[in-house]
Amino acid sequence: MPWPIYLALKQLFPTGRRFPFFTLISITGVALGVMLLVISISVMGGFQHEIRKMIVDTQGEVQVRGEGLIADPAAVLAALAQVPGVAAATPFAEGVALIEHERKPAYPGIQGIDLARIEAVAPLGRFVRVGSLDDLDDDTVILSSQLAAGLGARLGSRIEVYSPLLLEKMKNDEVMLPRELTVVGLFEVGHQQLDSSLVLVTLRTMQDLYGLGPAVHGVNVRIAPGADPDAVARAVNETMLRAHRVQARSWIEANEDFLFVLQLEKNMIFFLLTFIIVVAAFSVASSLLIAVVRKTREIGLLGALGAKPRQVAACFCCQGLFIGVAGTAAGVALGFVFLHFRNDMIRIFTQLTGSEEVLARFYQFSRLPAHTAREDIVLIIVCAVVISTLAGLLPAWRAARLKPVEALRSE
Amino acid sequence: MPATALNPASSSVLSADGLRKTYLSGVQRLQVLSDVSLEVAAGESVSIRGESGSGKSTLINLLAGLDAPDVGRLLWFGQPATPDRRAEFLGIVFQSFYLIPEMDALANVLMAARIRGGAGAAERSRARDLLGRVGLAERATHLPAQLSGGERQRVAVARALMNAPKLVLADEPTGNLDERTGDAVIELLLGLCRETGTALVLVTHNVAHAAKCAHQLTLRDGTLC
Ligand SMILES: Nc1ncnc2c1ncn2[C@@H]1O[C@H](COP(=O)(O)OP(=O)(O)OP(=O)(O)O)[C@@H](O)[C@H]1O
Ligand SMILES: [Mg+2]
Repeated sequence: MPWPIYLALKQLFPTGRRFPFFTLISITGVALGVMLLVISISVMGGFQHEIRKMIVDTQGEVQVRGEGLIADPAAVLAALAQVPGVAAATPFAEGVALIEHERKPAYPGIQGIDLARIEAVAPLGRFVRVGSLDDLDDDTVILSSQLAAGLGARLGSRIEVYSPLLLEKMKNDEVMLPRELTVVGLFEVGHQQLDSSLVLVTLRTMQDLYGLGPAVHGVNVRIAPGADPDAVARAVNETMLRAHRVQARSWIEANEDFLFVLQLEKNMIFFLLTFIIVVAAFSVASSLLIAVVRKTREIGLLGALGAKPRQVAACFCCQGLFIGVAGTAAGVALGFVFLHFRNDMIRIFTQLTGSEEVLARFYQFSRLPAHTAREDIVLIIVCAVVISTLAGLLPAWRAARLKPVEALRSE
Repeated sequence: MPATALNPASSSVLSADGLRKTYLSGVQRLQVLSDVSLEVAAGESVSIRGESGSGKSTLINLLAGLDAPDVGRLLWFGQPATPDRRAEFLGIVFQSFYLIPEMDALANVLMAARIRGGAGAAERSRARDLLGRVGLAERATHLPAQLSGGERQRVAVARALMNAPKLVLADEPTGNLDERTGDAVIELLLGLCRETGTALVLVTHNVAHAAKCAHQLTLRDGTLC
């Protein structure tokens, strides 16, 4: 082992001292900063992940839409099946409708799904909390949970649906009856907007209500595992744009603004919390500077023994590096421990403060999501270690500048 | 060392010629050494006495290559003195012991070997051996704070001899010790140098210590006589 490293270790962990205070406190400072970063970035990543998953799970990774209606969905589906990277596809029709239950109206979005194909693209069945997606047919409907609560509708309730087409006809004094549908399920995605204003019906019901005939509004596509949504969307556009006059957009592109804001938030948090590590590094730097001053005579002696200035400098840089590495390791470990027990901790916290309901009501979650991306952790580790090593630089430079004669002479 | 074998001056371990040193502090010039020449042959011991402030420490620093003279020439083993030769060529003992407080006695002695190039099994056993010779075999794992002044200086002596130097420079090694302890350290230093054939330049105020060296010099008015 080169002696600067050996000496650095000795100074951090002197022989016979079990609790070197300076070392422990410096490591703790860095560790706290790293822990906070790991936790915050993971929780932010958790939200990001949940939102992405929700989008993808409800509409697939790529959405194909026609210029107007897709008049021949079967042809589009057949063509889509030929595009590399496409795993499954399901046509849909969407719109808004006026629905009524016991004289209570609502204007939710309404989505017609192809029961034979939907599960391969979007596992909606998983979100149906009461009842079952299997019970959905042309005379039934599945309501989002909050919408159902607002209408006072339950399983078996009958609701009346007025489509825009129907209202149009009624304006012309035609006598039309609303479509009556029975509630066979309630779903909950975990997203405020979807859970309060969406209704699922079969594609055929929707085509009836809107008078679409065989046409649909679009096709949701699930891509093969590992495929890139943007690449698949491009491939679809290349092969089908002309022939079928449809255009594909990946969910990333479709939600670009939203995802950008999410990413920006995460980056800001990263940036701000990095300063905690910088502050910790400053305290490491000042402690090391004090050590250089305190050890001036010993540094002089090293010179007298033949040490080169850059070796002396390396010794102090290494101390910064070791503190950085140990603090980062401890911080990452602590961060993961916290993340592992996060929901228990939150439960204890909310029980103590009596704020359980508030949390669930305003944040729409009772469990804190967390998703730790490997590249985020790598970035945190690199930043923390580099910053701590930089903290050793100033003391190192001071130490290297000391002339042995003057250092030995100093009192 | 083939280079020195070719050199006619190889019997001379240290050769200083016309060293001059002036300190500048502000506008004031203080010429401490005006013309110092010194030859030390292999295994020879030289004592230097002089009043306080006469420039003994200044001279030792010059001879050790820790400070540069204004003019003059310094050869170690017939070759110009350069900092990277220091670890191999010479050992230094100071008035203060300058042990590294975080390491035990053995590690302090080994530090000299580490700086020179590495501390393997051979160096380790040599360090133990040296500690034994300065009478501290039992104290190898003790920290400097657990040793007395005399013991610390003995550790410093062992450290100075660790790399089997050709020359040991000692600047008032007994200055911080009581008389009895000082005598013992000087005996040890002289004995070890004689045994290992190491040359010694000993700066001291003590006439009795100086008398034990083969050559006795005095630094006065910036020159040796
Ligand atoms: N860096 C310096 N700047 C200015 N003057 C210095 C410096 N170092 C030494 N001196 C002066 O040079 C003179 C010689 O100092 P030096 O330390 O060599 O004396 P010394 O013979 O070792 O004395 P002592 O026996 O007290 O150790 C002193 O007058 C001292 O004040
Ligand atoms: Mg002196």
